[in-house]
Amino acid sequence: MSSGRHVEPASGPARWRLIQDLFHAAADLPASEQHAFLESRTEGDPTLVAEVEALLVEDRTPGSFLDRSLPEVANHLLGPDSPGRVGPYRVLRLLGEGGMGVVYLVEREDVGGRAALKLLRDGWVSPSRRARFLTEQRTLAQLDHPAIAQLHDAGALPDGTPWFAMEYVEGVPLTEYCRARSCSLAERLRLFRAVCEAVQHAHRHAVIHRDLKPSNILVKPDGAVKLLDFGIAKHLDPTGPATDPTRTGLRLMTPAYAAPEQVEGGRLGVQTDVYALGVLLFELLAGRLPFELTGLQPHEAARRVLEQEPPRPSQVAGRPVQASRGAWADLDVLCLTAMQRDPARRYPSVEALIRDLDHHLAGEPLDARPDSLAYRAGKLLRRNARSVLVASAVGLAVLGVTAYAAVRLARARDAVAAEAARTQRIQQFMLQLFEGGTGEVGPSSDVKVVDLVDRGVREAQSLEAEPAVEAELLQTLGGIAQNLGRLDQAGALLARALELRRTAFGPDHPDVARSLVASAQLSSARGDYGEAEKQTREGLAILRRHLSRNDPEVARAVSALGRILENAGRYPDAIRELEEAVRLQTGRPGLEGDLSASLTELANCHFYVGQYAEADALNQKVLALDRRLYGPRHPHIADDLINLGAVQFEGGHYAEAERWNREALEIMTAWYGPDHPETASAQTILARSLLRLERRDEARVLLTSALATQERVYGPVHPRVASTLNELGIVARDQGRLADASANFQRMADIYDQVHHGKHYLIGVALSNLADVEQRRGNSAHAQELFRRVLTVYRDALPADHPLQGVGRVRFGHALLAAGQAADAEAQSRAGYELLMKRKDPQAVWLDMARQDLATAYRTLGRTADADRFQAELTASRAAK
Amino acid sequence: MARAGPRSSGVLDAGARDHLFTAAYDELRRLAASVRRDDPSRTLSPTALVNEAWLKLASSPEFAATSPAHFKRIAARAMRQVLVEAARRRTARKRGGGAPLVTFDEDTLPPEVGSEQVLALDIALEALARLEPRQALIVESRFFGGLDVRETCEILGISEATVLRDWRAARAFLAHELRQTR
Repeated sequence: MSSGRHVEPASGPARWRLIQDLFHAAADLPASEQHAFLESRTEGDPTLVAEVEALLVEDRTPGSFLDRSLPEVANHLLGPDSPGRVGPYRVLRLLGEGGMGVVYLVEREDVGGRAALKLLRDGWVSPSRRARFLTEQRTLAQLDHPAIAQLHDAGALPDGTPWFAMEYVEGVPLTEYCRARSCSLAERLRLFRAVCEAVQHAHRHAVIHRDLKPSNILVKPDGAVKLLDFGIAKHLDPTGPATDPTRTGLRLMTPAYAAPEQVEGGRLGVQTDVYALGVLLFELLAGRLPFELTGLQPHEAARRVLEQEPPRPSQVAGRPVQASRGAWADLDVLCLTAMQRDPARRYPSVEALIRDLDHHLAGEPLDARPDSLAYRAGKLLRRNARSVLVASAVGLAVLGVTAYAAVRLARARDAVAAEAARTQRIQQFMLQLFEGGTGEVGPSSDVKVVDLVDRGVREAQSLEAEPAVEAELLQTLGGIAQNLGRLDQAGALLARALELRRTAFGPDHPDVARSLVASAQLSSARGDYGEAEKQTREGLAILRRHLSRNDPEVARAVSALGRILENAGRYPDAIRELEEAVRLQTGRPGLEGDLSASLTELANCHFYVGQYAEADALNQKVLALDRRLYGPRHPHIADDLINLGAVQFEGGHYAEAERWNREALEIMTAWYGPDHPETASAQTILARSLLRLERRDEARVLLTSALATQERVYGPVHPRVASTLNELGIVARDQGRLADASANFQRMADIYDQVHHGKHYLIGVALSNLADVEQRRGNSAHAQELFRRVLTVYRDALPADHPLQGVGRVRFGHALLAAGQAADAEAQSRAGYELLMKRKDPQAVWLDMARQDLATAYRTLGRTADADRFQAELTASRAAK
Repeated sequence: MARAGPRSSGVLDAGARDHLFTAAYDELRRLAASVRRDDPSRTLSPTALVNEAWLKLASSPEFAATSPAHFKRIAARAMRQVLVEAARRRTARKRGGGAPLVTFDEDTLPPEVGSEQVLALDIALEALARLEPRQALIVESRFFGGLDVRETCEILGISEATVLRDWRAARAFLAHELRQTR
């Protein structure tokens, strides 16, 4: 029985107390008497009576949510959320949960067939766990061996959660299989050898498993072996010591199979897998683990692994296999050599282990001897290890590009549309690795991302693939190169991809259009806005001819055109296109991400033309949308917060801007870690606000950290590095360290010059900052020369009505005035002032600078009326703040 | 500083409380994840989780002076936060993903409805806290932390009768609030 109408909660503690008193007094009366009782006690106050009665109703009603259901709800909430479908797969049931993610049994709806789909479903994902998951995806992507579970497909859910689908293996853990069937020695060795071959294959592809154990090694009913679960990431939490028991959740290692160097957190190599294989062999031969670890705390277990000698398998009581003494001698040696505590004393490779196993099976003498030191082999190994060891998961991604091409080639005959979508998903997913993934390279990487792209390009070209496939690869690599700031290389790659596509498909084909749009983005990044617009319009026209008007790709291309117009400073045109894109994308389920991006650019356009209120409103919309899409702690949220901060910043509300920026930084740091380029960006932006609040030392710390990260990841010549140098220059200037400031701005200008070949407005920005400092240092002539160059750059790179045209002149005028050249100053400042006044919402700081300078200049020149005019304007402007 | 002894009704100072909260919060999240990992079929009850968390943390010297009741009270707050966050994530996903609407019968709460109820409860508890903070605390501790009546008396320094009265009224209030949001 519901209460029927909504009753407002008691408004205020005093009233609530009154309500409770009445409630308790009436609660134990028979229901029929309660109303009359309440009437009498409240002198007929109907609201009060209604409120108490509402409570009495609930009191009578058993089994409310509070009494009963929370455990079930909690169970659902805290447990994995089973999606109905993921990509082209329909979820059948939950298979299990590993330390990294959830695994479902799924079915391909269109072509049939089952797979195991792994999902990192936990919103509490820390950077380390996410890295592990991505690592696994990459390793599987490029391993193709009958005994290794095959990767089928990969992608991401709308909220960004990565997933991949792999071969579903129905099988039993190896040790369980042998035990249940009482396998003979020969059978066990056969299975073991198959496992070793699979691991060896992975090693040849520079992948170490790192977590070999029976539960990862399944045996199918037909006796075939399958390896699963490649990948504890290298990035185990470095701050958690091995002996801290409360950190066991993060130490996703199985102590029994962990090699000593894993336990100690030392460097891993192929011999780490050799060790695990040794333990596996021990278990197969002896029927139990080499070390007794049950009931021990992890740190105690670790100590045992590090300090104790394992017994010989032949000595273990109750062994499940029979063998002669001679055979046992061999098997002991095989096992214990693999399990040597010192990696250098183990078999140097799985290949060596297999070889000795074969020796044993053939009745030949082993290479390993019970007490052999194998130091020479060890020495060799250390040299090789550096090239074999894959320190960067990103390297796998590029190798994966090649493998993916191999897959694509093999299935070239398969023309099913679903196939095309699948390969595109893999390609998208590879790209995403680089968007978020450059941080995973990190300081300890042996292989640089940039080198791997080069290698990928070489490999792509040597594949002799059909042109369409090669084009796809080059397109992907071009996108990666662009993300890395290597605009020339990206340009070459994209141009080649476009050329291949035109040849393969003719000029009027959607793939050609896609290449055009991608090339346009690059042209835009290089400052060539004319070319960019042309390419986008061409691409858009083709897409419109071939796709329906509502096709998401069309909308994306419209959005891309808007972005390019925005970059070119043509804001009214940009706004028109972006509003169209928004119209096409609103209210379309599945396109929320695209809509969010379009809205963001639209907001930015309004921002650039000074329509801060509109910008703010749009940004709030985007923030709300993104929070729904991605959750509150996702990097996209941080981006939105930064945009909101920018509006506050422009409005001079630096404290508010700081708040937004700081929150954004927290999100980035939590998601990516402190040394990631995205974190560095956020640091820089926060620093800007702090500078306005004159908290220069704090800002400097942030900027220095950001610079270090960016130089490390992008190299010393990259736009982001330049941007940070700009901020550091400003700090140095404000703190009076003019020489440092000069150096920073000069470097900034050089970088932009190099990256953009002398034609980009940012060069102008750098030079004007430099010129300003030079003026302060008293180098007037140099400063003026620089300013002249600034104006040239702006004239060449920007439309005539771009705000910077005015700002540049105002600054020039300012420097001229400081050099005592009033007449020249007046000319420039006045020109700048007029330009700025034409704008709808000009920036006060520059206008006021112009006014101040003009007032001074005119006074010097004896033009009192003009001087007064500008003085009055300045006073009014300051009063209005 | 908390006074030693299980029957103390002493108030933890803010620093110690924060520390305890953070420890409890971290531990609960970890437990929640690990419990599911080890045994997917196991039903989680928040109070069971809090108990487990307490067992783990109790052995740590920094919490030696804290009584179980005190711990549970703070852990209850942490547990509430854990659940509310999970519910928010769940509802966020639903709105973005376009999942089909599923009909359900009243007895079993599917996750979507459950998430909304948890969020509604969170809001309702806040409303109650504005009216009578102690009552909200009682509900939170009992509901999320599994404190029994005796423990509640102990930490709040009130009589059993008071606890029972407060709970009864609060329960009715919250049930009413939740009904409004269906």
